[in-house]
Amino acid sequence: MAVEAKPLETAVPLPHAEEDPREHLMFDPRPREVMNRMVMEAMTTTSRRYWAWVIGLALVVLVCLLGAWGNMILTGMGLAGIRRPVFWGLFIVTFVFWIGISHAGTFVSAILRVFKAEFRRPFTRAAELMTTFALAAGALYPLIHLGRVWVFYWLIPYPNARWLWPNFRSPLVWDFLAITTYLLSSTIYLYLPLVPDLAMARDRTTGWRHALYRLLALGWRGTEAEWHRLRRAITIFAFAIIPVMFSVHTIVSWDFAVGVVAGWHSTIFGPYFIIGAILSGVAAVVSILFVLRSTMLHMDYFIRKEHFDALGKLLLVFSMAWAYFFFNDYLLTWYGGEEAARRILTLHATGPAAWVWYLMLICNVVIPWLTLWNRTIRRTPWAMFIITLLINVGMYAERYTIIPLTLGHQRMPFDWGVYTPRPTEISIVIGTFALFLLLYLLASRLIPLVPVWEVQEGQMAHTLRKVGKAEVPSVTELE
Amino acid sequence: MGANVVHLALFKETEIDHAAEAIARLRELGVSDHDISVISGIPYSERILGRPMTWTTIGRIGLAGAVVGFLVAIFLSFGTPLLYPIRVAAMPFQPIPTSIVVIFELTMLGLLISTFIGVFVETISPSFGPRGYHPKISDGHIGILFSSPAQVEESIHATLQALGAEIVHNVEEERLWP
Repeated sequence: MAVEAKPLETAVPLPHAEEDPREHLMFDPRPREVMNRMVMEAMTTTSRRYWAWVIGLALVVLVCLLGAWGNMILTGMGLAGIRRPVFWGLFIVTFVFWIGISHAGTFVSAILRVFKAEFRRPFTRAAELMTTFALAAGALYPLIHLGRVWVFYWLIPYPNARWLWPNFRSPLVWDFLAITTYLLSSTIYLYLPLVPDLAMARDRTTGWRHALYRLLALGWRGTEAEWHRLRRAITIFAFAIIPVMFSVHTIVSWDFAVGVVAGWHSTIFGPYFIIGAILSGVAAVVSILFVLRSTMLHMDYFIRKEHFDALGKLLLVFSMAWAYFFFNDYLLTWYGGEEAARRILTLHATGPAAWVWYLMLICNVVIPWLTLWNRTIRRTPWAMFIITLLINVGMYAERYTIIPLTLGHQRMPFDWGVYTPRPTEISIVIGTFALFLLLYLLASRLIPLVPVWEVQEGQMAHTLRKVGKAEVPSVTELE
Repeated sequence: MGANVVHLALFKETEIDHAAEAIARLRELGVSDHDISVISGIPYSERILGRPMTWTTIGRIGLAGAVVGFLVAIFLSFGTPLLYPIRVAAMPFQPIPTSIVVIFELTMLGLLISTFIGVFVETISPSFGPRGYHPKISDGHIGILFSSPAQVEESIHATLQALGAEIVHNVEEERLWP
């Protein structure tokens, strides 16, 4: 039988919906002096609204954090709602939340730097700053939770009068070591790439600012040797800080998982916590970027829709990964047949606090999956702001589900109990949120939030190349 | 032979080819690589400017710090239980798995802190090359800092200016910052 070849229909070119590459920061360069001026103006311009926020937040920190904590120190831990059977409440929930948020800086800066993801360039510092302040806020909680904070130094690994050293087999000591390592290294990692920008600020300021930047810039001039050693140090940090980041939240998860507590004793807790931390951290970066873009001068040049788009894609992937780990943990507990653990799962989903569990799933899975696949939504900054805030509400709910809602229903039904946060705890939590925002607000006017040299370096490496009739983006390896 | 004079030639970053050419010309005019230093607002690799490879000990300092951190961790994990032994039934006295956590954290802490100290030490340590700076450098200029004998000053200036350089004389005597 003869085969008749049917000619193809004439191809009709589709209308091109491609965006102009010049919408991307890397293809929209401006002279260095202009970018310097923009960053300096953003840093030195303050409005009445800014100072109103600073004063308001400072008052909240004073009253809600220091006041409530001080009162708890004077009165006793009975002011908090933690009592038998739930001894880990809102303080530990918020501690885990802040440590999770702190993963953002390292993820955005170190991992994306190692993989040479170019879109990272304008907001690495904003993310690194978040890491440092989130750790500062989170590191308060072990002290708050201690009760007798005046003997906090017993946490430090040194021997007592009888030469008895702390027990280095305890996850709580690991916590101390991991958080100290991460706080120090992430602060240095924030500072190192900042030095050239501090030198730039030094050259453009007078008075106290000039004195401050001159001190912090360490006499930076930008010689070949200085650049060489700075890059070497940043490379060492970028590679070394990634496993440290992973270790911190893994160790936080071991605080739970090494105990033979139903619902906690899981081998998957390490990666499950890590993925949750990255999800909440990247979501927090998007929220912060929206605020910076909306409130600071010239930030709309540096932080563009493309950045929300790229981070939105990452969030979608991490939301899926989080759901995968959650389901793994859920299924194996359900399938394992341990009655106490299964009962906890049932209580999470049907008990009096089931709304927290559903809130977690809606915010961490339903909302991101329904919205972030859509490019238009990903490129709408205010929509991304709302979605990312909700993701963090979901992640807070996750920690609340894991900690007090699980602890309250262990193996002995006669020992069950419901945890209700007390006003002192809620006040302290609000206080640390205010502290984080206050520190960020102050830092935004003290250090250049955009790493200008990194942006310029990226812009120099990116060009548009004519291929046929199209102009296509091209990246050159300058290193 | 007269004393050496330090000069700073500034090129716009858009004219990086001219800056690279200027370095080559300086070499032809007898200025050694040791007497040339390039200052810029963004990092350029040595290949781009045709400069000899610079070296740094930061990697070694970092490695030394990691070793110190490792040894401290070994002491804390395995040494401190010996100082005041408390043996608990069914519990290992010096367990390896838990020690790995402490060893990892302290090794990384040693590595990272010593890397930073390395940057700090190398930054504040005395430099024997020519010194100088101009605020224009952080505004998008490349500075070529060099010292040369006073008698060849004119020929060098003419060569560099032909390439579009702006010459700043006697940079040592200027205030580095406003």
